[in-house]
Amino acid sequence: MPPVSFERVCKRFGTVGVVEEFSLDVADGELLVLVGGSGSGKSTILRMVAGLESVTTGSIRIGDREITHLPPRQRDVAMVFQDYALYPHLSVRDNLSLGLRLRKVPRAEIDRRVGWAGEMLGLAPLLERKPKQLSGGQRQRVAMGRAMVREPLVFLFDEPMSNLDAGLRAQMRIEIGALQRRLLTTTIYVTHDQVEAMTLGDRIVVLANGRIQQVGRPIELYRRPLNRFVAGFIGTPPMNFIDGALQRVNGGAAFVADGVRIALPGDRLATGAEPRTLGIRPEDLRIVAGTSSGESDTEVTGRAVLVERLGGTSHIHFDVGPHRMLASVSGDPLPDVGDVIRVQVPPANVHLFGADGVAL
Amino acid sequence: MRPLSRVGLYLALTVAAVTFIYPFLWMASSTLKPPLEFGSLALIPDRITLDNYRIMWSRAPFGRALLNSVFVAGTITASVLVLGSITAYAMARLTFPGRRALNAATVAVLLVPGQLTLIPLYTLIVQLGWVDTYAALIVPYLFNATAILMLRQFFLQIPQSLIDSARMDGMSELRILFTIFWPLARPPLAIVAIFTFMGSWNEVLWPLLVVRDEQTMTLPQLLTVFALGGGAGTLGVSLAAAMVLVVPVVIAYMFLQRYFIESMAGAGVKG
Amino acid sequence: MRAEGRSGLLMGAPYALFLLAFAAYPVFFALALVFMRWDLVTEPSFAGADNIRLLAVDARFWRAVANTFVFLAIHLPLQIATALTLALALNRPLVFRAFWRAAFFLPVVISGAVVAILWNALYATDVGLINTVLAKVGVSPIPWLTDPSLAMPAIAVMVTWKNVGFYVVIYLAGLQYIPRSCQEAIELDGATAWQRFRHLTLPLLLPQTILVVTLSTINGFQLFIEPYVMTGGGPLRRTFSVVLYMYTNAFSYQKMGYAATIGVALALIIGAVVAIQRRIIGTAEAT
Repeated sequence: MPPVSFERVCKRFGTVGVVEEFSLDVADGELLVLVGGSGSGKSTILRMVAGLESVTTGSIRIGDREITHLPPRQRDVAMVFQDYALYPHLSVRDNLSLGLRLRKVPRAEIDRRVGWAGEMLGLAPLLERKPKQLSGGQRQRVAMGRAMVREPLVFLFDEPMSNLDAGLRAQMRIEIGALQRRLLTTTIYVTHDQVEAMTLGDRIVVLANGRIQQVGRPIELYRRPLNRFVAGFIGTPPMNFIDGALQRVNGGAAFVADGVRIALPGDRLATGAEPRTLGIRPEDLRIVAGTSSGESDTEVTGRAVLVERLGGTSHIHFDVGPHRMLASVSGDPLPDVGDVIRVQVPPANVHLFGADGVAL
Repeated sequence: MRPLSRVGLYLALTVAAVTFIYPFLWMASSTLKPPLEFGSLALIPDRITLDNYRIMWSRAPFGRALLNSVFVAGTITASVLVLGSITAYAMARLTFPGRRALNAATVAVLLVPGQLTLIPLYTLIVQLGWVDTYAALIVPYLFNATAILMLRQFFLQIPQSLIDSARMDGMSELRILFTIFWPLARPPLAIVAIFTFMGSWNEVLWPLLVVRDEQTMTLPQLLTVFALGGGAGTLGVSLAAAMVLVVPVVIAYMFLQRYFIESMAGAGVKG
Repeated sequence: MRAEGRSGLLMGAPYALFLLAFAAYPVFFALALVFMRWDLVTEPSFAGADNIRLLAVDARFWRAVANTFVFLAIHLPLQIATALTLALALNRPLVFRAFWRAAFFLPVVISGAVVAILWNALYATDVGLINTVLAKVGVSPIPWLTDPSLAMPAIAVMVTWKNVGFYVVIYLAGLQYIPRSCQEAIELDGATAWQRFRHLTLPLLLPQTILVVTLSTINGFQLFIEPYVMTGGGPLRRTFSVVLYMYTNAFSYQKMGYAATIGVALALIIGAVVAIQRRIIGTAEAT
């Protein structure tokens, strides 16, 4: 029995659809990330699991219980809110224990669980403080502790990192990941940040316009995106896209666009739909040294426009005809702005997308 | 929210609203009823009569009292707005010796309960020979501490650059206040105007102390004296007198409720 | 002195003079009057501590103080409960929300004298609206204002009716500050609607409740026009308020010194009661 399952869940406001036909089974103990831009429906789905939004059609189950229309308090889920939602008038200890007190859990058990959560999250010295005396990171830990002490069936995280600075975010990512692996509570985690999704998720659900674009393990989404949206969303820096067409050439094929000609193995032709877009990740591009010995058929020639040195890696922005592209390379030598460069496009790393955006 | 509880909520709210509005409607309709019909629940009288109003108007100078109230409340409001603005402007934007003391004194004034100063103020009026004069009703209210603090708060937020450029143009401080600050200060000025006017319009205790002559009485004062003094005779006549006081306020309130609420609730909290 | 300083002095001087004459002087003179005997006609004479001694044993004064406490005992809980209930009811997206709020606030803007006269008519034993309505359900006329044990409670209900709109607005403002996410969090934590109210809403409305209690208490001690108009202080002096007593001493008996003494005593009593209340509510919050 999957701990959480969605069956054709829809959420509509009048005629406006916010979530459409969302069906998914969450695996036991996994950390599932819902990722997408604003308006993608990710938070709505999370809130429907919590019971904070109503479900228009479809059903949600937790275990074998159908919880679709149950009030939040009967669902045995706990949520970490974006603004942490700590009770301002209560001490950290009381914040942690209120849920247990409301359910009449015996005092000794409450103390044990609060102690355990405090231990795990480093909250012990803070137990008597009030939320306004805590830093952002500390507040987030209290919010997590409050969820943990209830020992719920499911953890829900609603963009918990939004209010933290970058350094803290990186650290908390590691801590949350480690914590979840220790507790093995099934977790649904919502974020707009694909780096967070890639590092934390056991599986990732990419959402756009209320629909699932792709579900899979991070590496699958990276290597084999199912459509142009996922390809452009996952991976930093984002994938380069060139619109053009695939042509039959000399017993093989070539992708042709303005100023671009890239040879591809012939089997790329046989897929039915016509490819219209070529995608290649910046980190898969190589800058070739020396001047060209004639037009290589897996190269493009361009002019460097901007060189960003980031230390180990560098980002080279270059123009090929009308197309602006980005290569992510390490080491030297780096071109100067204005230099003409030759960039190799390995055919094995090329993604092709049809007119409708679906990968081929 | 489930539809049934929503209906229940609206029902409860309607019942509550009725308890607050119905008495006024009953009062209005009672004034149009002859004495025999008084007390009936019907909102529309069987026989509509203006006798209560006729009697009321002939037995005591309500017209005069209405004018008195308008004059007193109007003068006080104008003074609080103008003199209060001048004071608030000085306290907010000008540096002068004693400014901090003046500030502290203004706040301190709000802490003193009115009852403490009531008697000495009365004796002062008597000693000045101001009994039965408009001076007695107006002068002690020429300045209002709450208004000054509120205006000062607002004036503090106006950018210094506006003042600087005006001064460079050679404007006097008063000029700056009334040509630059005042147009920007419409909301707080409106709020001050309303609670000052209403406070003065409804004030009864002070007029009862310092005014004995019917011709100088304010409307609520005359109403009280009239209702108590037996001049009314029947409840219908008393209520008719009350209507004279209430109707203008209710009409103003219907159009300006938001301002009334913001003004009187805000002022009360600060006080 | 710079031009700005001169302007400032000129602009601030009228108010300073006003404060001296109408604020500072009366406060000091009130304290002086405590020790004087004066009828405004003859010369004032020194009275030592006579006024204070007389006040300490003045049954009428302490009766008035006791009346105020009776008033507050009914008015305060009624005010808090009603204002809070109405504010909670209004604190959601409603059609005509402005209308309800305006309806509740209407009696606040009406003169106390009018409200007193109106309720005199409502409470009238024979033709009053309330007894007429009660008669329809078979209840015999209740002497609201003529029964010594009913009169002050009746006035307390009336004053609650008059002022509740004001406190509804205050509570509504306080409710805006309770974060929506906290309400959602406590629901997930397992709270029923009542538990949410008790553990989240009520504690977070504490500043507003303190304000309601303080202002209502001060208002209660300042009661004047209601007993003046409705009962004249009776029946059996049960609705005689402190301010009414002070007024009669000044206006009818011409005893300025004694009246001032009552005023000072009242100010002290108000200060003490408010301070005690804040202490009590403060400790209640801690639990």
